[in-house]
Amino acid sequence: MATVTIKHVTKAFGDNVVLKEFNETFQEGEFITLLGPSGCGKTTMLRIIAGFEKPTTGELYIDNQLVSGGKTFIPPEKRSVGMVFQSYAVWPHMNVFDNVAYPLTIKKVPKAEIKKSVEHVLEIVHLSQYAERFPNQLSGGQQQRVALARALVAAPKLLLLDEPLSNLDAKLRESMRFEIKEIQRQLGITVVYVTHDQTEAMAMSDRIFLINRGVVQQCGSPEEIYNQPANQFVADFLGKVDFFKGESANGRIVFPKMGGQSFAYDGPRTGKVEVAVRPENLYFTEDGVLEGTLEAQYYLGDVDDCRVRVGETLVRVIANGHEYKNLKNGQTVRLGVRDFMVFEDDGSLEQMLQIQT
Amino acid sequence: MKSVSTMQRDIQRRDPTPTITKIVLAAVFVLSLVVIVTGVMGMRTYSASGFSSESGYKAVYKLSGDVQQAWKTLQPQLDALGKEQRATVDEAAHRMLVAAWEGQNAGGGQAAENAIAQANDNQNGATLYKLLYTTYLAGGPKVGASARKELAAIPTSRQDAFRAELLACIADENAPLPAEAEKAAGSLTGENRQAMLMQIFFISNGSADSKITDNVNAFKKGVRDKAVQLDAFRTIADGKISWIQQLVISSSRTVILVGILAALDALLLIVLMMADKSWIVDFKWLLILLIVDFLLLFQLMPLVYMMIKAFTPDGEFSLETFKRLYTYPLNLDALKNTLIAATATMILGTLLAFPLAWLVGRTNLYGKKFFRSLFVLTYMVPPYVGAMAWLRLLNPNVGTINQWLRVLFNLSDAPGPLNVYTLPGMIWVLTSFYYPYAFITISRAMEKMDPSLEEASRISGASPVKTLFTVTLPMMMPSLISGALLVFVCAASCYGIPSIIGSPGRVHTVTTRIVEYVGQSQQSLNDATGMAVFLMVIALVILFLSDVVLAKRQYITVSGKSVRPAIVDLRKWRIPLTVLVSLFAVIVILIPFATILTTSFKIDVGKSMFSKTNFTTVNWSDIFGRQETINCLKNSLIFGIITATIGIVVACVMSYLLQRTRVRGRKIPDFLITLGSGTPSVVIALGLIMTMKGNFGINIYNTAYIMIVAYLIKYLMMGMRTVVSAMSQIHSSLEECSQIAGASWTRTMFKITGPLIFPSIAAGWFLIFIPSFYELSMTSLLYSSTTKTIGYQLYENWTFTSQPQSCAMAFGILLIVVALNFVLNRLTKGEFSI
Repeated sequence: MATVTIKHVTKAFGDNVVLKEFNETFQEGEFITLLGPSGCGKTTMLRIIAGFEKPTTGELYIDNQLVSGGKTFIPPEKRSVGMVFQSYAVWPHMNVFDNVAYPLTIKKVPKAEIKKSVEHVLEIVHLSQYAERFPNQLSGGQQQRVALARALVAAPKLLLLDEPLSNLDAKLRESMRFEIKEIQRQLGITVVYVTHDQTEAMAMSDRIFLINRGVVQQCGSPEEIYNQPANQFVADFLGKVDFFKGESANGRIVFPKMGGQSFAYDGPRTGKVEVAVRPENLYFTEDGVLEGTLEAQYYLGDVDDCRVRVGETLVRVIANGHEYKNLKNGQTVRLGVRDFMVFEDDGSLEQMLQIQT
Repeated sequence: MKSVSTMQRDIQRRDPTPTITKIVLAAVFVLSLVVIVTGVMGMRTYSASGFSSESGYKAVYKLSGDVQQAWKTLQPQLDALGKEQRATVDEAAHRMLVAAWEGQNAGGGQAAENAIAQANDNQNGATLYKLLYTTYLAGGPKVGASARKELAAIPTSRQDAFRAELLACIADENAPLPAEAEKAAGSLTGENRQAMLMQIFFISNGSADSKITDNVNAFKKGVRDKAVQLDAFRTIADGKISWIQQLVISSSRTVILVGILAALDALLLIVLMMADKSWIVDFKWLLILLIVDFLLLFQLMPLVYMMIKAFTPDGEFSLETFKRLYTYPLNLDALKNTLIAATATMILGTLLAFPLAWLVGRTNLYGKKFFRSLFVLTYMVPPYVGAMAWLRLLNPNVGTINQWLRVLFNLSDAPGPLNVYTLPGMIWVLTSFYYPYAFITISRAMEKMDPSLEEASRISGASPVKTLFTVTLPMMMPSLISGALLVFVCAASCYGIPSIIGSPGRVHTVTTRIVEYVGQSQQSLNDATGMAVFLMVIALVILFLSDVVLAKRQYITVSGKSVRPAIVDLRKWRIPLTVLVSLFAVIVILIPFATILTTSFKIDVGKSMFSKTNFTTVNWSDIFGRQETINCLKNSLIFGIITATIGIVVACVMSYLLQRTRVRGRKIPDFLITLGSGTPSVVIALGLIMTMKGNFGINIYNTAYIMIVAYLIKYLMMGMRTVVSAMSQIHSSLEECSQIAGASWTRTMFKITGPLIFPSIAAGWFLIFIPSFYELSMTSLLYSSTTKTIGYQLYENWTFTSQPQSCAMAFGILLIVVALNFVLNRLTKGEFSI
């Protein structure tokens, strides 16, 4: 199982710089996710690891062997990695068995051995009874598993997955998510997984690299990234969050647009700040720190999504029904705050939102 | 809110009344059967009448109208005469009639006299004079030209008085002749005088005269047999023939054809409606029927007729034609040559096209965009122009390449070493002009292929070369095969190249044999049919293979994402391969075109253009200063424009039907159009010749129509495919969105769909126009002296007149095509060019 070391890798297509200074080491057996909005450079990074793109500058090592960098370039076929493509890329002119057997056939592995390996890997992806079928006789999910089996059959040290689930329907996506994670755990293989879907990233990863505009914004475990976002972009990209402008002074943050209401803050920042609050961290309580009027409530099944007007600001609250079931629209309520994040108000939020749209 | 039952009732009410539709359809069907029967009856009547040609009946009918008109003017003047005078005129008329008739109708005089006597007995003056009128114009004495001039000078106001005087003179020889008649009849006496006066009387009827004379001439031509003329005269005199009869009799075949088409249409409509389980008449069906009728008539019928004719040369089933054809060594050779040439061209062309398509589409070859447009450009060059160029280059005696080779390798002055007038020579020229067909098909498929398919192979451990053979090539196989088959059909049905290169070298092919056979004799036409059937069967089998068999194996490799083909780095091979491709381009494109250009400035084609004594621009001024060239150019432009315009309208209708409706039966015209474009040109033309000369009720032989029809059948599909594929790119939600926004269907078409597909419509128009503009194969069978086109003129010039002049003309055509290409590029903002 392999390590991947990326040193000062940048990539530009003409004048368009898509990756700026990527420095990282992926450890053996790690499940790494490259997460970010489309066009952020995550797929380019994956293709550099695979060998489909050459980095403009910098070096890339797989298992401490230089594969890209300087004058060295080892083509994809010599890197012994497995890869699953977004479009599956299952060859329509071969049946499932031949598709999966292909990497071994190329290596001139004896036939009997090929058969054994293919059968084994088909079993892992639950496709044993489909070996003779052609791709056009398979569903999208089955094709996806053929692609996975093909990527795994040669027992690669490193498995690359390029948005492998994005073409599947929601239910299938969820079950495949756990299957892939399970297979990775069984085989102990290093996985680099590219996605723009934060739920996928949260559910599967050991470490997430959140990328925007070719720059890694934050890297860390899903919990770290979710709970201690490094900047407003990260906070906004993962989960739901609302931002409020405030002034921090003397251990309190005052919100001018909430009719000057305030709550306690013991952090280091002072002056103009952006306060990020996840709606599930707000709750209805009689001794809450903010006062407002309940304007609307939307029933979502497991939780309720409510809107409370505090001063001029409309605040979103996700609450369990039993917390407030006696409340009615138009009633005055008080909100408690479980947790919140404070960023400097340097105007970067606007900038970030522009990137997003 | 409406209750469910009310809504159901509403739905039922909106349902049309199926009974009425059924009755109407049945009525149409029955009516068309009646029309067919009427046509058959008309044909019987006609053949029983003894008229020798259908135009006879038409002339008789027209003349009968004229006579009626003339009688109306004669009657008041006769009435104005005194009783005695009138008796004399009648008497004179009678005598003259008998005399004229005996001259006209030797041996039939008695019957004629009886008829006249009978008419006279019945006091039927009108009939008498009508008979006289017709006979006179058909056979009576001629009024001299100078006398005619004088008669024409009589003012309309005096005409009636003049005619009354003439009648009086017939009755009384001593009455003074009007001055205008003096010249013609002054010296005559007795019966001759009366005959001449009568003749003057009839032709003095002003403007009606020329029309009558025309009809009399047609009548004379149509009814050559004297005995039949008698019948015709009586038919006219009795006024027996109505316009319906005339129509049915004289156009019985057209009537039958219309009946059959109407019956087929009604049947088709019934089948469609039964399949739809709905009896609503959809106007789209009418569109389909219109297109289908056209194709049935001008495409399917000729092909079927040819098939039948080939197996029943004398009305009975026999394989005599084939036996005769294929035991004749020349034909056997032609057959063999065609198969060898087509197969070799297919193999060579594909072997060239695949690596070129791969290099240009999938590697980092230098200047690949330039090469791509260069190779595609050849597609638009008329093949015969290429043939001319290669002839200039590889002529065994004076061919430029041969001269170079002789100098280079210090060979003797003997002819050679290369000779274009051979089967290999022809194969080379065919290949150099048809490989673009495979190139385009293959590179299109390559561009559409999902690059991850290849990347998946690379990551699985396969080298680029291994990937090429295990993934790219097998994936490309269906397109590769269909490209190859296309080359095969084109090469087998090509006429221009074999006629220019093969014929002088006695390398015959099926197409050149067919063109030679046409226009020799009836039997040779049968032979041409036999050869054509062979070509047609090849084309149909291949069409079937590539459209039905291969289509099912076509892999859907287009991915949802925009495809960015994986580029293979050629590394150390990059420069050598670029050099190789450039060399190929120079040999196959640059040198031939340059040859055409330089030859057009030469006096002696064997010498260099740059020697002082050999350079001239006379060829250019000569050929383009000639009225004939200008006329041909005009013809080509007009035919091309008409064909392209009709074609693109049909193409738009078809794309709408195919892409935006689920109307049943929309695939029928689609199929027929595909069939038409797959049929070899020579076969289309031959079929039209055999069926469009009036024997099936349509006579467009030797007209511009037959050429436009032929071009349409052959090239319609090019336009249609372009528009269809453009329309398939536009998601219907764009239109639906416009309609939701409140725009009507027409407004949506003009504001949304139209502008979006306009570039493709323009491209489709040019794709029909350009090949129609320089067409040769069909034209060489269908042209007449007034419908000669620039392509044929060039061919004739090359074969019979001057090669340098032809080169000037060929280069002119090339310039026009390139200019059009430029216009197209501009018009579609660079989206399309060829």
